Amino acid sequence: MLRVANLLFAGVVCLAVAMIFVVVNRSGQRDDSRITHDALAEHDVVAKVAPIDSQADGTGQEFQPGSDAPRVSTTSATQHPIIIRKPSGPPRIELAGTDPQGRIGSVACSTCHHVRKPNLENKSPATLDEFHQGMTFNHGSIACYACHNPADSDALRLADGTKVAYENVMTLCSQCHGKQAESFAHGAHGGMNGHWDLTRGPQMKNNCIDCHDPHAPSYPKMIVGFKPKDRFNGPLSDDHHHEGAESHDDH
Amino acid sequence: MSSSPAKESHITSYPKFIGRSLWLATEGSFAFYAWMTMLTALFLVGANAWANQVAGGMIGTNMTDQVSWGLYIANFTFMVGLAAGGVMMVIPAYLYHDRKMHDVVIIGELLAIAAIVMCLLFVVADLGRPDRFWHMIPGIGKFNWPISMLTWDVIVLNGYLVLNLHICGYLLYMRFLGRKPNPTWYIPFVMLSIVWAISIHTVTAFLYCGLGGRPFWNTALLAPRFLASAFVSGPAFIIVAMVLIKKLSGVAGLDHPIATLTKIIRVTILINLLMVASELFTEFYTGGSHVSAAKYLFFGLHGKTALVPWTWTAIGLNLTAALLFLWPGLLSFRWRPLLVAACCMAFVGAWIEKGMGLIIPGFIPSTLHEIVEYVPSQLEWKVTVGIWAFGLLVFTIAIKTALPTLKHPAEH
Amino acid sequence: MTTTEPTTNPSLPVLENFSRRAAVKAGFATLGAGAFAAAISPLRQAAKNTSAAEFMQTHYTELSPEQKADVLARLETETKEKYNAEVTIADDRPIPGTKFVYAINLSVCNGNGKCVEACHKENNHDRDTNQSYIRVIEMPKGTMDMEQGSTTYSGAVPKDDKFYLPVQCQQCDEPPCVDVCPVKATWKEEDGIVVVDYNWCIGCRYCEAACPYHARRFNWKKPEVPAKELNPDQSYLSNRIRPVGVVEKCTYCLHRTRRGKLPACLEACPTGARVFGNILDPNSNIRWILEHKRVYILKEELGTKPAFFYYFD
Repeated sequence: MLRVANLLFAGVVCLAVAMIFVVVNRSGQRDDSRITHDALAEHDVVAKVAPIDSQADGTGQEFQPGSDAPRVSTTSATQHPIIIRKPSGPPRIELAGTDPQGRIGSVACSTCHHVRKPNLENKSPATLDEFHQGMTFNHGSIACYACHNPADSDALRLADGTKVAYENVMTLCSQCHGKQAESFAHGAHGGMNGHWDLTRGPQMKNNCIDCHDPHAPSYPKMIVGFKPKDRFNGPLSDDHHHEGAESHDDH
Repeated sequence: MSSSPAKESHITSYPKFIGRSLWLATEGSFAFYAWMTMLTALFLVGANAWANQVAGGMIGTNMTDQVSWGLYIANFTFMVGLAAGGVMMVIPAYLYHDRKMHDVVIIGELLAIAAIVMCLLFVVADLGRPDRFWHMIPGIGKFNWPISMLTWDVIVLNGYLVLNLHICGYLLYMRFLGRKPNPTWYIPFVMLSIVWAISIHTVTAFLYCGLGGRPFWNTALLAPRFLASAFVSGPAFIIVAMVLIKKLSGVAGLDHPIATLTKIIRVTILINLLMVASELFTEFYTGGSHVSAAKYLFFGLHGKTALVPWTWTAIGLNLTAALLFLWPGLLSFRWRPLLVAACCMAFVGAWIEKGMGLIIPGFIPSTLHEIVEYVPSQLEWKVTVGIWAFGLLVFTIAIKTALPTLKHPAEH
Repeated sequence: MTTTEPTTNPSLPVLENFSRRAAVKAGFATLGAGAFAAAISPLRQAAKNTSAAEFMQTHYTELSPEQKADVLARLETETKEKYNAEVTIADDRPIPGTKFVYAINLSVCNGNGKCVEACHKENNHDRDTNQSYIRVIEMPKGTMDMEQGSTTYSGAVPKDDKFYLPVQCQQCDEPPCVDVCPVKATWKEEDGIVVVDYNWCIGCRYCEAACPYHARRFNWKKPEVPAKELNPDQSYLSNRIRPVGVVEKCTYCLHRTRRGKLPACLEACPTGARVFGNILDPNSNIRWILEHKRVYILKEELGTKPAFFYYFD
């Protein structure tokens, strides 16, 4: 019986030692468990991405007018730009009828507005006598001319009266939505495409007004279009080609 | 076995032993042949279903990404327990020198062999790529030892198989040669197999209880619970087997081992129930989101109740069996059929408790708390029945081979 | 069955009619073997789908450059044969000095599921099951308990009393799935991506049981993708068509991100909720978020250390 007890004891000790070995090995392995493939690396690339200083700066001057080309951050020769989509220019109003040649005409805002006296107090399309009446406005209780420029209807204006081109609408937005503008500058707000690594290619970012209607900026509801089909789970979506409601990219 | 005093060398006598064993194993009555034919037929059905599963992908099973293990792994877990349960004959025989148990201890060891073979088959059936099985072989493959608990399981299961093959093979071979077995050639292995039997089920429990993402399994009580239920199901199976052996082939001296095993089950079934109860107390009294799997298992969750009938059946069977085993009259000879019934209840109860009652609810709700239910598909049942039939085939052949030993125990 | 009966053992019964019985037994044994061969004959079909070269292929990390080139060429040919599509399968390696990290702004995410769809298309998932590496949970506001969430929501989103939690592989720094793999078919690379060698995985699905984020998917059947919908821009460890019977997972689109591009799910997100970048670059977007937003990780108590962050702002 004694011999047997010894045997059992030895067995238990062996088991304990084995377990300690596993635990030690496991915690050790965690540090070096990443398999290294340096020798296999095919794409040897300059390791470090140079800092994008325009991102590190504040956002204030980022959307300043001044260059016609998309804003480009060029701190390093190898850096590709971050391209922010911009409206092509001031909006134009399409005319209802056609001219005698059958062409659909469009006119600039200033066509009408420079002969009309601006009503600086107006805050809603409902109080207008004519034009813009079907428009939905749901953007706080600011006046039209808080953003639109009474002096130049083909441009916008900042709170201090500075004229801002339609192309640089983001500067205008950023006056109030500084938090979003800051997040945007750091990639934490707004969609993007292209490259995360600017040494390899450019990045394209959405403009504020790509996703937010300036007159009714809250993001619209969407329809869920695509669901994985689980064999034994709840309601199945029947057609994976069915697209959900598109976000409104067509400004 | 150096300097063998045998009349002929092992090189010629061992094949003779194998041939003799095979011959003996295939001798029998009409009922025996009918039994073997039925098992073979069922096994072939299972083999065919498995081949179809490999050819068509595991889409034929009802497993999903949410419930990624099903009937196969449930049976695997149970069979590991059955294999470990055989040790409940070995401990009285070798540690407590129970002579009468010693005479028939080979039944437990043969059961372990059959059960481990079934375990390995269930694992293979569960693999998505059985053709890549060689990736697991140390040396030519990549064996993630010692981090992966599955590699530990592969080692301990195969080790236990080899141990028991050696012990049984050695004893039967010595018997064939008409020599007294040399204790140095098997006693150390028997002692090792006792520790090893505990280890196979402990490691199998560690497969599950080491997973932090599965709160239902993530309990320190899992390994002791596994062992307790293994020491119910193993002896229960052996009792039934011994009753049958006694009836069909007139092996004497089985009544005492049957009584011993009955007494063992009387204790282990209560320990198992106690552990289940303390597990349930912890789950339900604490509450919180970790209890959702247990809630699903016992009462259903969000209207999904697929496992509720299973688990209450298991609870009913286990409780009834426990009460029967507690009744002293069960030991008497005239209540033998009732003993068999109690063993069957305990066996089925343990099977449900470990399979549909433990492996499956570990996945429901899923880690993202989706409730995807699981009911085995026909293909899974076919493969499972096929493997069970094969296991019983192995066990029957093994018992037939050992019958002379059982009928006329040697004096060692 | 030509064994002569040993006469040395007195305890064994003497057998009669030896040769006749032996012949009968041999006959039944042959019959049984034949029936077995017939039963497992569907395996021949499976064997046809697996070439000898695939069967013998060694582990990804042990392939020499020449072997790797052979493997990639073979896989391209197989895709041509089985899916009738011209694809290029590259072997994209980690960019030195990068560790990829993802973040999602839950204040902005509206649960529209575009990321789920983009993943489905980008990664050549099975078209029948709408498989995707991303699942979005609709959660009631005021709780973090996924128990109360739902993945089967539909209709117009976002609902007023709900927020949306997309979950995909978290590329954990302590990945339980890697630990449990018995054959080292899955591992964590230098840039933090946990990858699977689809040609080494044995399909035991232990990693699926171990993952606390439901990040892994098993190929229950051969993935079906029409040739014209197949994304031809593939990588060995990422979006190449997976074989049946192996486990796969999100790789942060390493066939894109290791070439400097953004992941497909990020590009598809119409709300801009997703942010991706290199955490080792102090000027990266992701660093700014970690330093300026209050981020949290899923199931922090499990100690998996995800490289995937969630935040509200």
